[in-house]
Amino acid sequence: MTSSSSYDLIVIGSGPAGQKAAIQGAKAGKHVALIEQTREVGGACVYQGTIPSKTLRETALKMVQFLHATDVFDFRMRDDLKIASLMTRLDKVVRAHGEFMAEQISRNGIDRFHGRAQFQSDREIKVQGLDGKPTMLSAPLLVIATGSRPRVPDNIPIDHENILDSDSILSLVYLPKSLTVLGGGVIASEYASIFALLGVQVTMIDTADRPLKFMDKELTDQFCEAFEKTGGSYRGQQKIQSAQWDGFSKVITQLGNGETFESEKMLVALGRVANIEHLNVQAAGLTPTARGLVSVNDHCQTTVNHIYAVGDVIGPPSLASCSMEQGRRAVCHALKLDSGDVPEHIPMGIYTIPEMSSVGLSEQEAIDQYGGALVGRANFQEIARGQISGMTNGLLKMIVDTNGEKLLGVHIVGEGATELIHIGQMGLLHNIHIDRFVENIFNFPTLAETYRVAALDIAKQRKK
Amino acid sequence: MSLASTCPTEQAEIEALLSRLTIQLEQEALDLPLLPVVATQVLQISGDPNADVTKLSALIQQDQALAGQILRIANSPAYAARSPIVSLQQSIAWLGMNILASLAFTVSVQSGVFKVKGYEKEIQALWRQALATGLYGKEIARRNRHNVENAFLCGILHTIGKPLIIHLILQNTDKESPQLSWTMIDTIIQELSILAGGKLAEAWQLPEPVQEAIRFYPDETYHQATSPTKGAIITCLADHLASAVVDPSSLDEAAICALPVVQDLNFYPEDMDALFELKETIQQSVESFLT
Ligand SMILES: Cc1cc2nc3c(=O)[nH]c(=O)nc-3n(C[C@H](O)[C@H](O)[C@H](O)COP(=O)(O)OP(=O)(O)OC[C@H]3O[C@@H](n4cnc5c(N)ncnc54)[C@H](O)[C@@H]3O)c2cc1C
Repeated sequence: MTSSSSYDLIVIGSGPAGQKAAIQGAKAGKHVALIEQTREVGGACVYQGTIPSKTLRETALKMVQFLHATDVFDFRMRDDLKIASLMTRLDKVVRAHGEFMAEQISRNGIDRFHGRAQFQSDREIKVQGLDGKPTMLSAPLLVIATGSRPRVPDNIPIDHENILDSDSILSLVYLPKSLTVLGGGVIASEYASIFALLGVQVTMIDTADRPLKFMDKELTDQFCEAFEKTGGSYRGQQKIQSAQWDGFSKVITQLGNGETFESEKMLVALGRVANIEHLNVQAAGLTPTARGLVSVNDHCQTTVNHIYAVGDVIGPPSLASCSMEQGRRAVCHALKLDSGDVPEHIPMGIYTIPEMSSVGLSEQEAIDQYGGALVGRANFQEIARGQISGMTNGLLKMIVDTNGEKLLGVHIVGEGATELIHIGQMGLLHNIHIDRFVENIFNFPTLAETYRVAALDIAKQRKK
Repeated sequence: MSLASTCPTEQAEIEALLSRLTIQLEQEALDLPLLPVVATQVLQISGDPNADVTKLSALIQQDQALAGQILRIANSPAYAARSPIVSLQQSIAWLGMNILASLAFTVSVQSGVFKVKGYEKEIQALWRQALATGLYGKEIARRNRHNVENAFLCGILHTIGKPLIIHLILQNTDKESPQLSWTMIDTIIQELSILAGGKLAEAWQLPEPVQEAIRFYPDETYHQATSPTKGAIITCLADHLASAVVDPSSLDEAAICALPVVQDLNFYPEDMDALFELKETIQQSVESFLT
């Protein structure tokens, strides 16, 4: 048996969760090993998730703005420029971000191991290198941060050529004429709206009656309206019987009700599965849940006390933002360091076109918990900034207690929603009175003014 | 350059040919073969977002030999149809637009430009290697969860410079003189085929990622490629795997696994095992393309 190198902390996976866990360990003066099976560090977030999808979105938006500007300026875009330039920019941003992350890891003195981690026991890990050779590592504290990958449904043959998943869609070499998107969640909705904006005929199909069912209905209604304006359509309450490349020129989707859809390409975005298949967690005394996740307590501690699990591998909310915080907190807990207050109000940001974001309670949750709620609304079109930018949609909803004083939640759809939400988040954290939004001065003209308008709307209702 | 196996006169002849061809290639004083009409049209049709398959099928029907080839390929194990494919329409339907376009393009390039008298066997071997590379390229891309569309075309065209060199050598040698030995020709091919392939790709205005794969696919240069489609690195490994299919005396599996390109693609032993397992299917497909 090969002897193993010992560390204070071993982190498996270098995505946002693993990276923050490793850095927290190193900052606390611990000798840390970080194991990553890919050449680059950064995980799905950098290479297949957040960064590429947001870069693609940003570039698509810019490109469309640019095209619209041809009304004012006299220039023409090369017809063949589109997808090639989109993808090249994507590649550059992803590379730059990956390099930045790698630099951060080495700056913190963390030892990187390139290979696949497999538990040998609850303290010992075998790292299988690309050449098949093993390296043994051991530590009294371990963090599993192996993330997730797209789920492959049994009845859909994903071939990465005609039927793609959220990884392979990023290497499209041209824009298809039409795209069927299976799913109605975050990834499905984000890509559907990006491709629709780029002129692709997009059809979303899902079992839910509306996309992003967990979001406020007024927000998703605005999303659907904008999506339809770009030629997209949403087919809800549909069961997918099968989806197949016809071996000719199109993907045929057959619905439970017998209806069929045709499109040039298909994106399958029907959830993600945790990466645990190479880990051999049983050797560490862990049993995956029925859904193939690693189960943890509030401190991200598994049933084996000195093994923690963070990020997508433990299931929802499956956000890079939360994964990072879980990574940091898990190591703080393990090392008995103060990790600060537990984040109460985690915002949700969805980069559809238009963006959506929400924090705190929904209207229904507020009614359930407080026996009622007041709702203040502000439309972006009614705000100077919105008019200047020619915004055709956008809404901020404030959920407040029945007295019209206590802020309970904020829900926004429209340009900049994912940034604007943080004002509401701070308001919630500091329990501020609704009138503070009215009494204070915001920059003019800005979209932040929507907070004041929505607060005034509440104030009006309060007086009645 | 390795001239070890050549005699002094041959060596001198090679040197002379090499410098003449290099000058011709660098000064672009070449009369490059034209892209066959069918291939040009196929490229146009497949690059046109509004084109439909009827145009392509009409085009293929104009060329009986091409239609026959396509029918044969549609029946090959690689495309394993559930029932035998008997008509061109059916094979078009089975293979699909993209594959069909690539095939029509390849077959027409192969039969149209590179029929070199006296070297049929060698040219056939080059095509066998190119086809196996295209097929393996698709599988490598698939394993990487990368879109596979580009990989096939990069693979089948990556060594397009090789037959061009043979063509040029024959243009540059006296018709009366005895036929050059294959060893001599091969030496020149090794030296100049990448440069020649690049020139041809440019002249034919092949898609940019394909041009890049042609220029940079070798082990020493795939790092220089920048296209996000990764055609060069994928084609590099595909070319090694294809060699193992067409030439049993080439690198064995262990040697292939030890190549830096395997590491750069982040392939673990199990990924390589899965690719080696495809050897027979790819071999069968290649044969059905060629016979
Ligand atoms: C298309 C898309 C868009 C998204 N957009 C957003 C967004 O806008 N905002 C947001 O907050 N989140 C977003 N997410 C979610 C976010 O990317 C994930 O929540 C986040 O990446 C999870 O981080 P992680 O560290 O848990 O896992 P990952 O990022 O998946 O990283 C896990 C790492 O572990 C490695 N690994 C796995 N198994 C092993 C093993 N046995 N040995 C060694 N290494 C191993 C993997 O190679 C990987 O690098 C998006 C995701 C996708 C797919």
